[in-house]
Amino acid sequence: MNGDILSEVCGVAADVFAIDALSLTGASSPEQIEAWDSVQHLSLVLALEDKYGIQFAPEEMERMKDLGAIATLVRTKIT
Amino acid sequence: MPIEIVPFSAELRSVVREFNGRLDAAGVEEGLRLPADPHAEMLPGSQSYLALEDGVVRGGYTLRPQKFSFRGEIRCVAHYRLPVSEGIIDKRFALVGALLLRDALQKEPLLYALGMGGYQQPLPRMLQAAGWSLSPIPFYFRVVHPARFLRQIRAARGSRWRLLLMDLAASTGAGWLGLHAIQRLRTHTAAAAFSEVAEFGLWADELWEVVHRAYGMIGMRNAEELRQLYPQSNPRFLRIQTAAGWAVLVDTAMRGDQYFGDLRVGTIVDCLARPEDAAAVIRAARVYLEQRGVDLILSNQSHPAWMEALRADGFFGGPSNFLLATSPALRKLGVVDWHINRGDGDGPVHL
Repeated sequence: MNGDILSEVCGVAADVFAIDALSLTGASSPEQIEAWDSVQHLSLVLALEDKYGIQFAPEEMERMKDLGAIATLVRTKIT
Repeated sequence: MPIEIVPFSAELRSVVREFNGRLDAAGVEEGLRLPADPHAEMLPGSQSYLALEDGVVRGGYTLRPQKFSFRGEIRCVAHYRLPVSEGIIDKRFALVGALLLRDALQKEPLLYALGMGGYQQPLPRMLQAAGWSLSPIPFYFRVVHPARFLRQIRAARGSRWRLLLMDLAASTGAGWLGLHAIQRLRTHTAAAAFSEVAEFGLWADELWEVVHRAYGMIGMRNAEELRQLYPQSNPRFLRIQTAAGWAVLVDTAMRGDQYFGDLRVGTIVDCLARPEDAAAVIRAARVYLEQRGVDLILSNQSHPAWMEALRADGFFGGPSNFLLATSPALRKLGVVDWHINRGDGDGPVHL
């Protein structure tokens, strides 16, 4: 289940950052992806909220250090 | 370590200074720093918040809740001021900017940001991405001493004015030195009597009560608020009163300024009257600044009546990078005729 969500999160991130989804993994983080700046991070959060019909609280957003952590967070919100 | 957002307190001053030091070392522009002494550096009522990771500051922002009148209904709206994140120098903290914004919206859904230096800056881009509405507060200018103005603008390093004037000269068919004549031709306002006043008194309260319902959105401008915004202790603020309203002005002698060289620049910072009386106040403000000897008069005004008053008094419009951003909740209120100027937000700190 988490793997499916991770691949969906990677797909959303790929759209937001305008890069190839195959280049993204759970370990992908802002330090590795040039396009992942503060503005794009917010765009990613909003895109995920829109896709899953969820809303992240500030205390949840602080855990979004990489795509794996984001996928885990999404999974806990939708199950 | 998790990041927590906490209110600023005095014992955090040293870690704020360390944060600012890291921005200094990375060569980040001077304006982007967290206040190490918010109570001394900001308008009354402001509250700063810090994003802390294991005791280390990773960012912060300030909220200044203000009372606004929405056609007579008084509501609290907060100014979202100077959010700064370590993400601008270290991508490990790219999440902090979004965290700060979400935290601020949770505290005060009706938020606005003002100024910000233009659409390409990081904050406006982030606010736009978050669904905020952005629009420039129109900019107007009137040249009082054309020869001196042109001499100084030529010497100034910034090219914005030169480009603007070339456009203007081309569009009006006049040379730069024809500006004065054009401005006089464009001036259609009647003379207005005014007096300089040292302080806002009961008369300012009475005016506020009469006029605030005429505006879709306007920051509280009763006497008490005006005394906080423009304290008598600050000699920079000049106040004039007319039969119909008031204006707050600043007269600044620039020295080697990037945009203004050594010009003496007058600014119509703030003003209030019924919308139909705006022209009388603008004319009085302009005449007062001319009498003081300024070379150039500037103003940013958002309300249609005040913009029209400036145009009718011979002011030209120019490109504005002074932006108003309104949060989704504030935008939903559907305001169109807001009265926002340099007196809002931080106040006239950069003039």
